[in-house]
Amino acid sequence: MALTYIEAIHTAQRELLEESADVFIYGQDVGAFGGAFKATEGLAEAFPGRVIDAPISEDAMAGMVIGAAVEGARPILEMQFADFSSVAFNQIVNQAATHYYRTGVQVPITVRLPSGGTPGSGPFHSQTMESIYAHYPGLIVVTPATVADAYGMLKEAVMMDDPVMYCEHKFLYRWLRADELKKNSLPIGQARIVRPGKDATVVTYSAMVHEAVKAAEMLKEDGWEIEVVDLRSVKPIDIDTIMASISRTGRLLALGEGFPWGGVTAEVVSLVVAEGFHLLDAAPMRLNSKDTPVPYHPDLWAAHRPTPESISVSLKHLLRL
Amino acid sequence: MADEKVSPDALAKIHHGFRAMILSRTLENKLSSLYKAGKIVGGVYLGKGQEAISASLGTVLIKGKDVYAPLIRDQAGRTAFGEDLLDVTRTYLGKVTGPMKGRDGNVHRGRPKEGMPAMISHLGASLSYIAGMLFARRLRGELNDAIGAATFGDGATSTGAFHEGLNLAAVENLPIIVLVVNNSFAYSTPNDRQFSCDNLISRAEGYGVTGHEVDGTDFLACMDVMTQAAESARAGNGPQLIVANALRLCGHGEHDDAKYIPAELRAQSRDCIEVAESQMQENGFLSSEEIANIKQESKVQVTEAVAIAQREPTPDPRKDDWQALGMKNTIL
Amino acid sequence: MPKVAITMPQLGESIAEAIIVKFLVKPGDTIEVDQEVIEVETNKATMGVTTLCGGVLSQFHVEEGTSYAVGTQLGIIEATEEEIQATGVTPIGQKANTEEEGELIEKTLSHGDNPAVKQDSQMDLPDAITIEPSVNGLPVPVGTKGANYISPRMRARMDDLGLRAADISAVSGSGAGGRVTIEDLEAFLLSIEDWPKSKASPMRLAVADAMRRSWTRPLATVGMPVVLDKVLNHRRKQLPKPGLTLYVLRAFALALKGDPASAGYLIGENIVYPRAFDIGVAVQVEDGVVVPVIRDADTKTVPQLSEEYAELVDKARGRRLGKETLEKGIATVTNFGTFGLVSGNPIPLPNETLILGLGAGVKKPVWSEETNTFIPVTTCELVITFDHRVVDGGGAGMLLQKVRDLLQKPELL
Repeated sequence: MALTYIEAIHTAQRELLEESADVFIYGQDVGAFGGAFKATEGLAEAFPGRVIDAPISEDAMAGMVIGAAVEGARPILEMQFADFSSVAFNQIVNQAATHYYRTGVQVPITVRLPSGGTPGSGPFHSQTMESIYAHYPGLIVVTPATVADAYGMLKEAVMMDDPVMYCEHKFLYRWLRADELKKNSLPIGQARIVRPGKDATVVTYSAMVHEAVKAAEMLKEDGWEIEVVDLRSVKPIDIDTIMASISRTGRLLALGEGFPWGGVTAEVVSLVVAEGFHLLDAAPMRLNSKDTPVPYHPDLWAAHRPTPESISVSLKHLLRL
Repeated sequence: MADEKVSPDALAKIHHGFRAMILSRTLENKLSSLYKAGKIVGGVYLGKGQEAISASLGTVLIKGKDVYAPLIRDQAGRTAFGEDLLDVTRTYLGKVTGPMKGRDGNVHRGRPKEGMPAMISHLGASLSYIAGMLFARRLRGELNDAIGAATFGDGATSTGAFHEGLNLAAVENLPIIVLVVNNSFAYSTPNDRQFSCDNLISRAEGYGVTGHEVDGTDFLACMDVMTQAAESARAGNGPQLIVANALRLCGHGEHDDAKYIPAELRAQSRDCIEVAESQMQENGFLSSEEIANIKQESKVQVTEAVAIAQREPTPDPRKDDWQALGMKNTIL
Repeated sequence: MPKVAITMPQLGESIAEAIIVKFLVKPGDTIEVDQEVIEVETNKATMGVTTLCGGVLSQFHVEEGTSYAVGTQLGIIEATEEEIQATGVTPIGQKANTEEEGELIEKTLSHGDNPAVKQDSQMDLPDAITIEPSVNGLPVPVGTKGANYISPRMRARMDDLGLRAADISAVSGSGAGGRVTIEDLEAFLLSIEDWPKSKASPMRLAVADAMRRSWTRPLATVGMPVVLDKVLNHRRKQLPKPGLTLYVLRAFALALKGDPASAGYLIGENIVYPRAFDIGVAVQVEDGVVVPVIRDADTKTVPQLSEEYAELVDKARGRRLGKETLEKGIATVTNFGTFGLVSGNPIPLPNETLILGLGAGVKKPVWSEETNTFIPVTTCELVITFDHRVVDGGGAGMLLQKVRDLLQKPELL
C-alpha cells in the first residue's frame, strides 16, 4: 500500500488524537469537511468535539490554542494556507514565542502550515514562512521533506512542550509517496545526508530536497558527486552535520524555496562562513526563488522557484570557482 | 442599594473590593513616586480613576478556579483577584525574585498557571487566549462553572484581535466576561477618532452576546453589574460584554501629564474612590475610622512590599540561561 | 548618617534629559518619603521629582534653568537608619544588591555524540549512507598567510603544515582550472615522506622568505663587459687596498644619483623615489647572505668606503651587525666574482628595485690598434637585475654604461 505525504500527516494526527486526550485540532474547515487538503478527513467523526471548525480568524485561532496549551492541552492548529498565518503573526511571535522566556510556562502548540508553491496557486497560496518564524526566539520550525518525516516529525512536534511551526509542503502532499510508513525517524534538530558526494554540498529542506537530488543526478552524468543535506528542522539548525559535509566537499550551495532576502539560506551561508571559512574551496552560493511575489501562471511559477535545471547551473558555476 | 438587604456574602465581597481599590491607589501612588525618583525604568502605567471597575471584576472572579487577563489599568483588579503585592513591586523594580525575573516589567506580569496570564503589549490579544484556556478545560470536562475575564480599553476595541476573539468566544459560547473600560482616550486619541458607533455597548448585539453598561465611577453599581455578568456566564450564557465608563485620573503613563484631556471634562469627572468611600459610609458598610484604618494598613503593606523588593537582587546577565525554549535538553 | 541620592528620572521612553524648573525645598529642610522636591520639565510634560526616602535635604548639586541627563545625581538626602530600613533604599556608596556572582552559564552545543550521518529509514529517498572522509586533517585552524591565490581551505591546511605556495610548486593541480586541491597536496606530502630531510636554519628560512617575496615581481637581467685595468692600477697604489666591489658601489651610487627614478618603487600609480643613496653589499656568511648597508654612498669616496666596509664585513661574519646597518637600502651590489663566477643573475631584495652583480675578472687578449698587437686586458661581466615595472632594458643598460664609464676614471671615485 502506497502512502502519500498528506496521508502520513493524516495518520499522525489520527494516532495523536488516539494516544492523547489532550490533543485537539482546530482550524478552518477541519471538522466534518475534513480540511482543505483532507488532512483531517473523518477525524471529526471519529473524535467528537476534538476536531473543530474555526471562524476565519487566524489571530484568535492562534490565541485560542495558546491559551488552551497553557491549560495543558496539546492543540494542533491548522492554518488553511501558510500564507494566512501572517494574520496570526502577532499571537505566534509575541504571545507564543515569548511565553516561556517571560513566564517560565511552555506553550505546547503545533501550528501546521501548508506551505510552498504548486502551479496556479498564485501569490497568496504559495508562500513559505519558515524563515520568518525561525527568526524569532522561542519557536521550533520544522520542514519535513519525506513521508516518514511528515509523519514522525508531526508526532514529535505535538508532543514537544514548546511551540512548533510545522511547515508541510503542499507540492509533496500527493506527489510524494512511500511503500510503507516507517516510524523510526531522526529526532527534530538533526539534519540528514540524503545523498553522499565529494565535490559540493547542497544544504536544503522541504520540497527542495527532491529538486536538489534531481540536480545531483543530472550532474552525475558529468562525473560530479554532489552531497545533499536535508536540514529537516531549520530551527534548531544542525550545524554539525552541515560543517561535516562542507569539510568533505569544500563547496556549499544553500538552497531554499523562500524569497531570497535573508532567511534560511542566508543563515546557512553565514554559519558556514563564520565557523568554516577555512573549509571552503569557493565562495558559498545561495539559490532561492526570485524576489517577487509567487506568480500565478504555471510557466512563471516554474521559473520563479529553483528547479533541478537552475540548481545544476548554480552547482556547475560553484564547481568552476 | 441602600434600601436592599445585603447578604453577608455580598457584604464581604464589597469589603474585599473596596480594600483592593484603596490598596491599589496607595500602591500606584507609590509606584508613581518611585518612577519620579528615577527608580523604575521603562514606564509606569496606572489605573487611577478606574479602580471601581477593575476591583469589582477582580472581586467576582475566584482565584484557583477562574482565569483573568488584566490589562494596563488593572492594578485594583489584580489585587482583588489575589495577586501578591510583592509580584508587583518586584516586577516594577526588575528584581530577579519576581515572577518575570527581570525579563519583563511593569504591567507585563502574570502567573499563567495560577489563572492570570501575563499581558503582551498588543491590544486585544488576551481575549482569544482566555477563550483557549476555557476551551481546554471544557474539552477535558473540567470547566464546571469556572469563567474567564479579559479587560480592554476603548482603543483595544478597534483591533482585529478584539473582534476575532470576541466573535470566536461567542461562536464557542465560552463563559467570558469581556470588560471594556471606556475612559474616553486611547493614550491621547479621543473616542470620536476611535469608533463611530454611539455607544460601544451596541456592539454586543452584533456579536450575539449579552451587553451590560455601567458608570465606572460608581463602585456599588460596578459590583452589581460584575456579579450579574459573572453569574450569567457561570450559568452558561456565553460571553458578557460590559462597557464601563470612567475618566482616567492620570496620564497614559507617568511620563504623560494628559494635557490633552479638556479641563471641563476633568471637572465633570468623579474619583471612584471618593464615591466608594461615601457609598461605604452611607450604607453603613464601613465607618470613616474603618476606612482610615484600611488606608493606613494599605500604606504599611505597600511600604513593606517596596522595601523588601528594594533590598532584593536584580538579575545577573551571567546567570540568565538565555533560553527561549524550555526543551533545550532534548534538542541542543 | 546614610546619604540617599535624588536622581533625575527617566520621564518618558525617549527622554534623555530634563530641565530643572525650580526647587520645591531647600537644604536643611526635613523631607518626607515620596515628596516632590524638584519640578522638572521635558518636551512632553512638567512633573515633580520625588524622594525614595525621608530625611534632611543636605544639598542640591544642580541649578535651576539647566538641563540634566537622566540618571544625574541632583541632590543628597541625609536619612536615618530607620528610614533606610523602612524603605529598603540603597544609600550612596553601598553596593546595590545584584544576584550573587555565579558561574557564567554557557550553553554550548555538544559536538560529541553527533555523527555526521544519521541513520534513518525513510522510503522515498535512499536509506542511510556511509560517508568516508575524503581528506585528512580537517578541520584545521584558519590562517591568513601565503602569497598566491589559494583557496581558504587549502590555505588553512598549508598553514597548518607550515607550507608556502613555492614549497608545493612541484605539485600539479588536478582541481578546477588546474588548481592544486587538498587531495593533491596530501598525495605529494605522502610521496616525499620517506626522503631524507634536515631542518632548515633560521638564516636559510630568512633568505628564502626574502627571495620568495622578491620573486612576486617581473625581474629582468642585462649585462655588459667592463675593462678593469684602470681600477686595478689605481687600487694597487692605495693603502690599504680598497676592494673592487667598493669602486663599483661608488660608481653605482653616482649613476643612481643621476637617475633616481630608476631606483624608485612602483606603489599603486606612483613611483616613489629613494630618499638617500644607501647601497647594500651582499656578504656571504655561513648558510646564507647578509646585506649590510652603507649610508649615503654617493657622498663617500672609495677610501672612506673602504674603512667603513672593512668594519661591516667583520661584523657581518661575526653576526654582530647592528640593526641600523641592516636597515633597508635602495639597491645592492653583489660580487659573485669572488666565487670565480663570471656571470650571474642576482635577485634584488624584496624592498629594492635593483641589484648590480660583478663577475670574476678575466684576462683577455685584446687587439690594440696603437701597437698592432694583442694586449692583455682584465675585464669582468657587470650585470643588473631590475624590476621591469619600474625600469626597462634600455634604462638598465644606460645605468651600466654610466658605471662602466666611471670605472675608467677611478681617481674620481
